[in-house]
Amino acid sequence: MGAATTTATSSRTKNRMTNTQHRSAVFMLAPATGLLAVFIIIPMLLTIWLSFQNWSTQTGFETATFVGVQNFIDIFASNSVGRDFKAALVNTALYTVGSVAIILPLSVLLGLLVHQKIAPGGVFLRTVLFSTYMVPMIAVALVFSKLYSPTEGPLNQILGWVGIPPQTWLSAPQTALFAIVILNVWQQVGYFTVLAVAGLTQIPDSLYEAAKIDGANPIQRFFSITLPLLGNTLLFSSVIAIINAVQVFEPVALITQGGPVNATNVLTYHIRRVGIERAQGGLGSAMAVTLMLALVVAIALLFAFARSRETKSA
Amino acid sequence: MQLFQAFTRSAGAVAVLLSSTALVQAADVSFLTHWAPDTVAKLEAAAATYTQAHPDTKITVRAVPFGDLLTTLRTSGGGAGGATIAGIYDAWLPDLAKDQLVAAVPDAIAADTKANWPAGVIGAASIGGTLYGIPNEIDVYALNYNKKLFEAAGITEAPKTWDEFLAAAEKLTDKSKGQQGFGLINSWAAGVLHPFSSLLVSNGGDLVVDGKPVLDSEAAKQTFELYEKLIKSGYSDPAMATADANTTGPFLDSFVSGKTGMIIMANWWESALKAGMGDNFADIATAPIPVGPSGDTARSISYSWMTVVNAKASAEEQAAAWDFLNWLNGPDSGPTGASAMGDILMSMGILPSRTSDGTAFAERLSSDPFLAGYTGTLANAKPFPVVLGGQEFSESLQKTLEAMQFGQLSAADAQATAQADATEILERNAK
Repeated sequence: MGAATTTATSSRTKNRMTNTQHRSAVFMLAPATGLLAVFIIIPMLLTIWLSFQNWSTQTGFETATFVGVQNFIDIFASNSVGRDFKAALVNTALYTVGSVAIILPLSVLLGLLVHQKIAPGGVFLRTVLFSTYMVPMIAVALVFSKLYSPTEGPLNQILGWVGIPPQTWLSAPQTALFAIVILNVWQQVGYFTVLAVAGLTQIPDSLYEAAKIDGANPIQRFFSITLPLLGNTLLFSSVIAIINAVQVFEPVALITQGGPVNATNVLTYHIRRVGIERAQGGLGSAMAVTLMLALVVAIALLFAFARSRETKSA
Repeated sequence: MQLFQAFTRSAGAVAVLLSSTALVQAADVSFLTHWAPDTVAKLEAAAATYTQAHPDTKITVRAVPFGDLLTTLRTSGGGAGGATIAGIYDAWLPDLAKDQLVAAVPDAIAADTKANWPAGVIGAASIGGTLYGIPNEIDVYALNYNKKLFEAAGITEAPKTWDEFLAAAEKLTDKSKGQQGFGLINSWAAGVLHPFSSLLVSNGGDLVVDGKPVLDSEAAKQTFELYEKLIKSGYSDPAMATADANTTGPFLDSFVSGKTGMIIMANWWESALKAGMGDNFADIATAPIPVGPSGDTARSISYSWMTVVNAKASAEEQAAAWDFLNWLNGPDSGPTGASAMGDILMSMGILPSRTSDGTAFAERLSSDPFLAGYTGTLANAKPFPVVLGGQEFSESLQKTLEAMQFGQLSAADAQATAQADATEILERNAK
């Protein structure tokens, strides 16, 4: 009886402690989760709700009228609304693929260059590379818009010295998006190089020494040791690079205004044009939701790919 | 004790009076514009003159690039914290009025404005008979050409017809020098549309009639074909036509550096040309838009700008804003019977729209050959259509014309696309 009473008392004490701990945890987490809800979750849910409404961004939410999936039908229709959205979606995808495909290999290459201990100046080179990331986009945009000028631009003048004809850069739909990709690569590669260097420092030297003893040449060592062990770093870099690329806005707004012929009209800029300039909040929200879904799918595919490679190598 | 009570009562009354005066009169007025820093400085100087006589009103000026003006107005104008006054382009007015972002002009000021501005300009600042802004500038398009390049190409006078225009463009084109005959513009809606529309109206056509697009007309067909000819013949190089968010860029650089023989632009870019060309600005001349085969006289497109007041601003701020605007655009604020606004506009080469400003600046206008070329075309200018969905319509037509510039669409396809898109956009926005 006495033992049972003791056990019951102990259990109640335990429950009370658990409840107290639970309440404390809720109390302590509330500020952070509350802020998260107010600034992230509620706006996201609001955007999703608005994507099913006909609503002018200049009026209150009470004026929104439910239109079902009409906004989603409109943005994929064959009229000018649909054509412009689909073109912006393709432009964003091309910009993202182009940026990631250039930035990641280049950052690994530059990372190896900075990380090597054979020649001096690695730290200096790392500082120089990272400095481009710290330059404000307004300054980058101003400089690049002049560099790319078809008649007066220094880039074409330099190309002329080596017999290459002037390029159209931002002045033609065939080259404008690529010119913006180059600008992005120039600004971002330093940041990703620092990430690559951080990954390289995690690889033990003993692995390279063992490989050397086994007769592996530098290329074999790179593909058999460096690249596989940089997997997690590259996965993280890819996710960040994709998110950064999808969110591109400033160079388009500052230099090209989406032109020529909408060749640089990326989704963020187009959503601003539709949702704010034209005040078509429902359509703009439908575009934002589609962009969010596309991003979620892309990141999920990337993780699935990384996981499948891990499983294979295991 | 009685003396003390009387003193406290008096002090209380004074305090209440002072505070209520402050509540009624003190107002912070912000003015949103896209003007360049030197012009903003002139506006600030005018505001400082006004506030000397109205110390309770504080006026601040905020400038953004033209490309961001509408967005800024829409994002910040929707709340009480937005700019109190904004300079806007007349094509934006229908949508801003529909969204109740702009306040109607108070009756007394509206009556004065209607009496002192041309009826056409008042019409462009009104929706359903209600005046929403005080007009200030009127812009019109004309042909600008480089006299030195004309002389070198053996051309003695500005082209008057499209045939003469094409012949001049051919003579002026010299690819070995990177020189084009006629400069197009892209990546900027007004820069693409207004020159095209000027050629269209000079060919007897229109963009929109009674709220419906008429881009399927014969006159429009000929205008699309003219553009196609200019591009296919190499008389216009689209790679030299790009504009940036500040409405500058390669198209301006090419004309300033003597690589473009002719271009169709509005009077307001006089200041940009002077800044870029210095003494060489004397080489630039102005002529009416060449007349097309279906046209009867040289015409061009005109559009106006106005200052509007934020409908969401407090009553005190709105009252102070209208009072300031009435003074700024009135005949007593500038030199020799001109308005201060007219004086600011003239410093940029922009034509003020107030009737008395035309008289006050008559000598200055006639002595400036560049501007005189524009004032001469004003009488036959057609206002750019002001319709609901105007911005979307403009951007859609811009894209179609740019697609033709870069050979993605033939003249016939561009015309069909432009008409179909415009019909759908204007119908949807009119609902």
